Amino acid sequence: MEKRLIKKDALTGIAKKMADDFLVWAPVKKEDNILFEPLQKGAEPFFAYLNSKNAPKNVFFPHTEALMKYTRTEKGMVFSEDKNKADESVLFGVRPCDAHSFALLDKLFDQEKYKDNYYIAKREKTMVISLACVKPPYASCFCTSVDGEPVSSDGADILLTDISSDYLVEFVTPKGEEKLTKYFGDTKADAAADTKKSEITAKAKAAITSNIPAHVVKPILDKNFDNPFWNTIHGKCLACGTCTYLCPTCHCFDISDEVKGADGVRIRSWDSCMFPMFTKETSGHNPRSSQKERWRQRAMHKFKYYVDNFNAIACVGCGRCVMYCPVNIDIRKIVEDISKL
Amino acid sequence: MQNPYIPYPVVVDKIITEVDTKDIKTFRFKFVNPEDETKYSYIPGQFGELSIYGKGESPIGIASSPTQKGYVEFTVQKAGVVTSALHEMEEGTMMGLRGPLGNSWPLQFLEGKNIVIVGGGFAFTTLRSLINYMIYGDNRKRFGKITIIYGARNPGLLLYKDELTEWGKRDDLNLNVTVDKGDATWKGKEGFVPAVCKEVAPSKENAVAVICGPPVMIRFTLPVFFDLGFSKGNIITSLEMRMKCGIGKCGRCNVGSKYVCKDGPVFSLAELDKLTPEY
Repeated sequence: MEKRLIKKDALTGIAKKMADDFLVWAPVKKEDNILFEPLQKGAEPFFAYLNSKNAPKNVFFPHTEALMKYTRTEKGMVFSEDKNKADESVLFGVRPCDAHSFALLDKLFDQEKYKDNYYIAKREKTMVISLACVKPPYASCFCTSVDGEPVSSDGADILLTDISSDYLVEFVTPKGEEKLTKYFGDTKADAAADTKKSEITAKAKAAITSNIPAHVVKPILDKNFDNPFWNTIHGKCLACGTCTYLCPTCHCFDISDEVKGADGVRIRSWDSCMFPMFTKETSGHNPRSSQKERWRQRAMHKFKYYVDNFNAIACVGCGRCVMYCPVNIDIRKIVEDISKL
Repeated sequence: MQNPYIPYPVVVDKIITEVDTKDIKTFRFKFVNPEDETKYSYIPGQFGELSIYGKGESPIGIASSPTQKGYVEFTVQKAGVVTSALHEMEEGTMMGLRGPLGNSWPLQFLEGKNIVIVGGGFAFTTLRSLINYMIYGDNRKRFGKITIIYGARNPGLLLYKDELTEWGKRDDLNLNVTVDKGDATWKGKEGFVPAVCKEVAPSKENAVAVICGPPVMIRFTLPVFFDLGFSKGNIITSLEMRMKCGIGKCGRCNVGSKYVCKDGPVFSLAELDKLTPEY
């Protein structure tokens, strides 16, 4: 596949140029946060960022999304499918851990039997450009423990790596190469750039100091559903759901109806296994009746159930849940503790 | 390809009030577009999402049998937002139906075997689908002896009374209907389902028990079947969980790694033993 070199200061210009032809999602500064948002005309993308506050999963799986619309008529409700008019898009500059999450979400939303047209339409129309973590941004990063790497093209169509003099641009998929090569100048990368990238990759990997035994815990979880250990996690949990909303791989959702006058819309919106109502049945029975069961579900889903179903851990090691949990519940500690059961 | 989130438009063709308390009704739906009926080809034990615009959806087991052409039936207890709205509906109203969803009663496994059907209360609906399927025309030859044990709290709470009468006249099935407590007109059996199971004592030879009912009935019925020598692989049941998408994506109805909506709702006890007891 094609490899190019671009000047370090060229990135912003390229993103803006692409925005003339595509819907470009890029990191932008908003108050104190860096968020992935559609790049508006004249707006400046901000690539000197550590990682975005929210996981960019919202590009394919928005917080709230219409599934269908309906109108009240004399004959009753008539509905129309909300057409999946996904625009040709570029998701510009995501971190490799977040790009890895797309590969994981694909396994769920794009299954053989039931395909989620809403997710798939956006995913197919979007090219992902990853921005390698040459210096892992946070002490809480642990991507290397969960099948990721700070410099990785997993889940991406193009990988950008800062090799100090330039950015090395590597085209990973034919889709990326075909549609986006023209934006990246005509300086071909030489062997020296590859060598430099290898050195940088090794350094970046070594700089990830937070390691968790994520692969060790699967057989332990298989046998320890009833372990008293599960009583020890949830005590301070506020059930706020921050961990699930910020998580790149959490995909649980609710479906609800909203009506205004004669028109209505059926929407899906993010939901959370941390919420008591999530599994509460009409009868009042709740199979996950306390925060203990809900925490067990979250840990099991990421490190056992997803492995059972898709042979992959549903965690990318971005560390958002570690950094933003208001009561400092640390998934790394939980996994560590499980490994000792 | 079919978008699994979009319901088929259906019209409420007929509403049958099943019980004296009037809170359980059977709804017969006809497809607005006749070709949708072929797309909605189902197997007993599957369920559908009843879809009322402006209210939401409710996952309900299919009560009719695929041998009943031209319509689909669901027996629904009035309980939450959607089912309450459904109970207010009149014949002729349009609404939506998604599915068919989930696995089904394991028909291939059941073929050639003696079938023991045990149902309690309102959970009889998908068992009724199975019974009507098994006794329909030549289908009957594909199954061995059929024994049915069905109980409700009182005679007024029995579902499908006309069909029970019809089934009672057949000599190719053994029907045992019981109520916890009878009334002045009740001439049938009195007693709880587990006790009647003990009394009927179906043989375990080449037999499968298909059991659906409230948790308390299941709890006391299972030991009876274990005593009769039924293996866990030959006892089959159907689970219920809160559901939204019905296609294994929204994340709430899993029991361990299995989604009740997609991998279930039908499981054998042997399969359930391998799952976490969180339902």
